[in-house]
Amino acid sequence: MASPARALRPGGGAGAGPLPRRARARLRAGIREGTHIRWAGAAGAAVPVLALGFILLVLIVKAWPAIRYNGVGFFTGTTWAEGDLYGQPVRRAGVLVPAGARYGALPAIIGTLGTSAIALVIGVPVAIGTALVIVERLPRRLAGLVGGFLEFLAGIPSVVVGLWGAVTFGPFIARHVAPLVARHMPDVPVLSYFRGSTGNGQGMLVSGLVLAIMIIPIVAATTRDLIRQVPILPREGAVALGMSEWECARRVTLPWVGSGIAGAVVLGLGRALGETMAVAMTCGVVLSTVPGNIYQTMTTIAATVVQTVDTAFLDGTGFALRALAELCLVLMVITLTANVVARLLVRRVSAIALPVGRGL
Amino acid sequence: MSIEAGPGESQASPPPAGAVAGGRAAPPGEARHDGAVALATVNLTISFGPRPVLTAVNARIERGAVTALIGPTGSGKTTLLRTFNRMNDKVSGYRHAGDVLLDGRSIWHPGVELMALRRKVGMLFQRPNPFPMSIIDNVLAGVRAHRLASRSAMSAIARDRLAEVGLWDAVRDRLKDSPFRLSGGQQQLLCLARALAVGPEVLLLDEPTSSLDPVATESIEALIRRLTPALTVVIVTHNLAQASRVADRIIFLNDGRLVEHGRTRQVFENPAQQETARYVSGRFG
Repeated sequence: MASPARALRPGGGAGAGPLPRRARARLRAGIREGTHIRWAGAAGAAVPVLALGFILLVLIVKAWPAIRYNGVGFFTGTTWAEGDLYGQPVRRAGVLVPAGARYGALPAIIGTLGTSAIALVIGVPVAIGTALVIVERLPRRLAGLVGGFLEFLAGIPSVVVGLWGAVTFGPFIARHVAPLVARHMPDVPVLSYFRGSTGNGQGMLVSGLVLAIMIIPIVAATTRDLIRQVPILPREGAVALGMSEWECARRVTLPWVGSGIAGAVVLGLGRALGETMAVAMTCGVVLSTVPGNIYQTMTTIAATVVQTVDTAFLDGTGFALRALAELCLVLMVITLTANVVARLLVRRVSAIALPVGRGL
Repeated sequence: MSIEAGPGESQASPPPAGAVAGGRAAPPGEARHDGAVALATVNLTISFGPRPVLTAVNARIERGAVTALIGPTGSGKTTLLRTFNRMNDKVSGYRHAGDVLLDGRSIWHPGVELMALRRKVGMLFQRPNPFPMSIIDNVLAGVRAHRLASRSAMSAIARDRLAEVGLWDAVRDRLKDSPFRLSGGQQQLLCLARALAVGPEVLLLDEPTSSLDPVATESIEALIRRLTPALTVVIVTHNLAQASRVADRIIFLNDGRLVEHGRTRQVFENPAQQETARYVSGRFG
């Protein structure tokens, strides 16, 4: 963070003490011509890029021995074990590790993707529906109230949501919803994951639903603001053509802000992929098992990290922390990939260029 | 409540004196249509909130003719136009008294399906308003919404409608492109093709050329002329020259009242009301 400030100084930022007259004149001229604004802007724009690069770099450096030691097995293995932290460490592939250390992240990766997928499938339609209702249906005052609730919901600390999920929501799902679903689901590929033992209220489905509740306010509030920006004229055109409200929303209003909504969904996805506390409290954090159906206890990358970081500090070789760094790196890559893929998808779907500066 | 009467016959509640010029006495050159009434308003009063925007309007829109609604700003032209396909229904504070009859039947009759009414009574707006979809999808949007044609018939419909508005040659190679890359005039023609594709009986035009250049305006006006007598056209315009160019009949509104209703030439050259004379000669409005 120091570099932008230094970058400013040659232009003549807030230097200490009285400046010589010429410097002051130059400063004034610079301000008039906007040079300083440009410098400050460039420095500001560089911060996120630098931060992202720096975090990635540190993670890679930290994780490098683990990457070498674990190899491909990190993505295929299902066992997450620190090994004998109190025994004699062994050297393998040039890395000093506790005896018996094995790190397979497959359950965590599957758990992360699974819970996030559930969150998106449930949360996004609800969020978009909520946004549409707020803008198009509710009277102004009620819309403000519901919108306020949304923003409030977005601000609830995740540990509170997690506690509610673990104590109230999870058991409710396990007792009243999951058995019903499991009993009526046909035994065909994919859907068979919805069958079988329904667990005790800690597991992938509950975590996914809790995540859905957490991303709904993010996606809904953003979508609501976007829908408000859609000009009235094309919407009236749709109505005048005899389209129903739903058709107008689906064919005109939502496509008009499609790329913005996709951005909101990516934001929500980022939240879901990385959400730690609420998931750790509702997923069971079972480290080394790939769940057989969506009701079973499982773990995600973030939950694994928060669950094992204490133990990892006890590893005298420091390797457990490096394995966690590798796990975090995987999470980063998943998030970045989701971002890029979403952007590409949006570009392909919304090939229709919108009017720019046509006064619509 | 059936008003199928010709313009020469008397109405249940007559509009202000001199409003209806004799239809049957029209010179043969102007008789391009059968003179039947497509749309009629009966003592139509509309208010948004406490103040009425239209007061006891009795207007009759002749089938197959172009009727221009003229009048100064705030006279209620657009409100009247938008009432014909019930676009005002959802505006807050909206209330109406009296009735609007389409082919003799109230547009607010419980048996009238709103979507079907709007299919029959199409509309074109002050500025082009393409939907955020490709050019061809724009033309077919209404056809799809009303399920009017099979999938295989779609492209023929799109081609015919685009040809009808004279846009086919300009867009035939970029039907999948964004409509927003077209010029303003082309966009408006596209919207017209979109409105025509659902096969309306009445077309409402709300100052359709107010945002267009003279050349585009001319092509839209020529099109309006060609659309009759197959279609009934109602056009709101601030431009008196345009009204005299495209309209068969003129309805002059002032301050929410229907002041005069008659053939174009009569209204412009020999208005029955002093108010109309003052407006068309440019002394107010």
